[in-house]
Amino acid sequence: MTSSQIEVLLQTLISGLLLGGLYALIGIGMTLIMGVMKIINLAHGELMMVGMYVAFVLFSSFHVDPYLSVFVAVPVLFILGVLLQKFLINPVLKVEAIIPENQVILTVGIGMVLANVATIIFTSDYKSTPVEYATKAWYLSDIWKETPIELSLSMPWSVSFLLAIIITVLLWFFLTKTDMGKSIRATAQDKDAALLMGVNVERLRVFTFGLGSALVGAAGCLLLPIYYLYPDLGGQFTLIAFVITILGGLGSTVGAIIGGIILGIFESLTSTYVGMGWAPVGRFVIFVAALIFFPGGIVAILKRKRFGK
Amino acid sequence: MRLVLVKTVLAALCISTLLVTAVFAEDFSLTIPLPLTGKQAKFGEMMKRSYEMAAEEINAKGGIKKKRLLLSFEDSGAKPETARAIVEKLIDTKKQPIIVGEYTSACAKAVAAVAEERKTPYLIVASADDDITRQNYKYVFRQNQVNAHYADSIMDFLQKIVKPKTVAILFESSAFGTSGAEAMEKDAQKIGMKVLLKEKYEAGSVDFKPLLSKVKAAQPDVIYMVSYVMDASLLMKQIKELRIDAKLFAGGAAGFAIPEFIDNAKDAAEYAITATLWTPQLKYPGAKEYADKYKKKYGDFPSYHGASAYSALFVMKDALERAKDWSTDGIRTAMKATNLTTAFGPVKFQDKEGYQNQNFADTYVLQVIKEEHETIWPERYASKKYIYPIPTWRNRKG
Repeated sequence: MTSSQIEVLLQTLISGLLLGGLYALIGIGMTLIMGVMKIINLAHGELMMVGMYVAFVLFSSFHVDPYLSVFVAVPVLFILGVLLQKFLINPVLKVEAIIPENQVILTVGIGMVLANVATIIFTSDYKSTPVEYATKAWYLSDIWKETPIELSLSMPWSVSFLLAIIITVLLWFFLTKTDMGKSIRATAQDKDAALLMGVNVERLRVFTFGLGSALVGAAGCLLLPIYYLYPDLGGQFTLIAFVITILGGLGSTVGAIIGGIILGIFESLTSTYVGMGWAPVGRFVIFVAALIFFPGGIVAILKRKRFGK
Repeated sequence: MRLVLVKTVLAALCISTLLVTAVFAEDFSLTIPLPLTGKQAKFGEMMKRSYEMAAEEINAKGGIKKKRLLLSFEDSGAKPETARAIVEKLIDTKKQPIIVGEYTSACAKAVAAVAEERKTPYLIVASADDDITRQNYKYVFRQNQVNAHYADSIMDFLQKIVKPKTVAILFESSAFGTSGAEAMEKDAQKIGMKVLLKEKYEAGSVDFKPLLSKVKAAQPDVIYMVSYVMDASLLMKQIKELRIDAKLFAGGAAGFAIPEFIDNAKDAAEYAITATLWTPQLKYPGAKEYADKYKKKYGDFPSYHGASAYSALFVMKDALERAKDWSTDGIRTAMKATNLTTAFGPVKFQDKEGYQNQNFADTYVLQVIKEEHETIWPERYASKKYIYPIPTWRNRKG
């Protein structure tokens, strides 16, 4: 390998890792909801879009940095999620229907409504938050003068990645160390047992949906400085979250983190070595491969190792 | 006393309405399909404003054959199927004898097929895909230059000033992107420039860096990109991040030629050049007046999309005034004989190089200098001297 080939490979891996970190945060929210409620929330990308518009409005009217608006978007999205679950999804859960998963169809409808409301309020124009540091980057040659290869690390991408990690770690502490978090994990493992142990499952569902929405809202704020925004952007990210959820193993947070990073790196490698037009195809290849070869996702593989099977 | 006053006022009102209706005995209503929502809404909005400005001027000077030109707009959302339905309705139900409008090539293609099938003249304003006027359509006229010629003046600039040996072509996977990239590939072969890379991407991608690192490793002299606006800004931003030092960054009109490109890419846009079909600095009659008026009203100079839309209504007016009757065939014959100089430049519909009813106009090169689009090529039209060689990213401030 020549030094320029190594440079391309390393730069691709860096991009993939940074992208993967964001993907993981987008995927975790969906995985949480999937774990507790056993449904796929197909309005996930649209919820992220709402979070992004919150950040956009704060930026354009009050010049609030998109990263700081995480503190606003998270509570707003949490409340939105709670309301959606309480007044729309919970009632539907109780109804006996011909189609088994009619809540899933409900989430599709919620997504459409959100996208169209955003179109009415903000029009379908592209919006962006041109921040000062948008193209700032750190370069290897600045630190090490005689470096044979040049690598760059984008500042906003790195900040988004780090914040995504911090949020994920906080979430992990919440799920493992607090009563509420333990109840969520208990419900995810066995709803009936949790119910018998005195967990208020219905309240927990409401809370989890809020938490999942808040997480993806935060992901939206982290994505905004490096991307742009329009009302129909949800679908493409719902799809990404869905692939991550399947890849990670339905309902597992650790799986979602690993799944997100694998997907990010895989997409970057496809872009570099196959062609950028093929990146979306790569996504589906992973999706199908995960379903066929490791139906339980990454989590199942991890478990198998642990129990020595 | 008061009654008399009321009566005079009423009488005056009656007379004034009579006067207005006397000037315009009839209305000629024209509905224009264009994207007002969706990804292409920015272009649609600019065109809508320009159509309105043109109609205002036409009506102020007595309308078209004493008929008031009454515009209305229908939003196609840049979706071919919607554009198609709108135009079917206009021709079949409203019996509109001429169609003007649309923006994306995909939509214009759909509309052209409908217009040809129903033998109604269709004037294309800003859609560039070559195929549209290469299908032996008799009723489809195109005022803007075709994609194959978009880069003519860029090629001239490259040959005379930059003298590059290699090029990398990046394009979005749409009708416009693909045909633009193919045209560039052919042009490159003509001047002996080697194409190192020709890669397409999906519009709306988040991360171009893997693709761009590959471009960086190939070390092309010129990077040529065919993109709409948000991808164009992201590409330049990520090129800056990776410090890819090509001799020149060139865009194939569209996304690179509108002010939003600079607004979004900020300093990363500096020194990038782009093909364009029109600039406010051109010396055509009415060009400057139109550009200044637009800027005064909306705060920014319009790009070629607006100028073409503005001029299209004058081309239509000219044809309608010459047509012996306002039947679709009468208008078609008049359109075919058009020989008019507009704010957009000379308009003449010719059959050559395998195109039908195509206006062959000059193209120009813009460069972003101090966060403004300046005309740099052909030199006789230049508003500022081109900046070449461009500084490397490392040596730029910020």
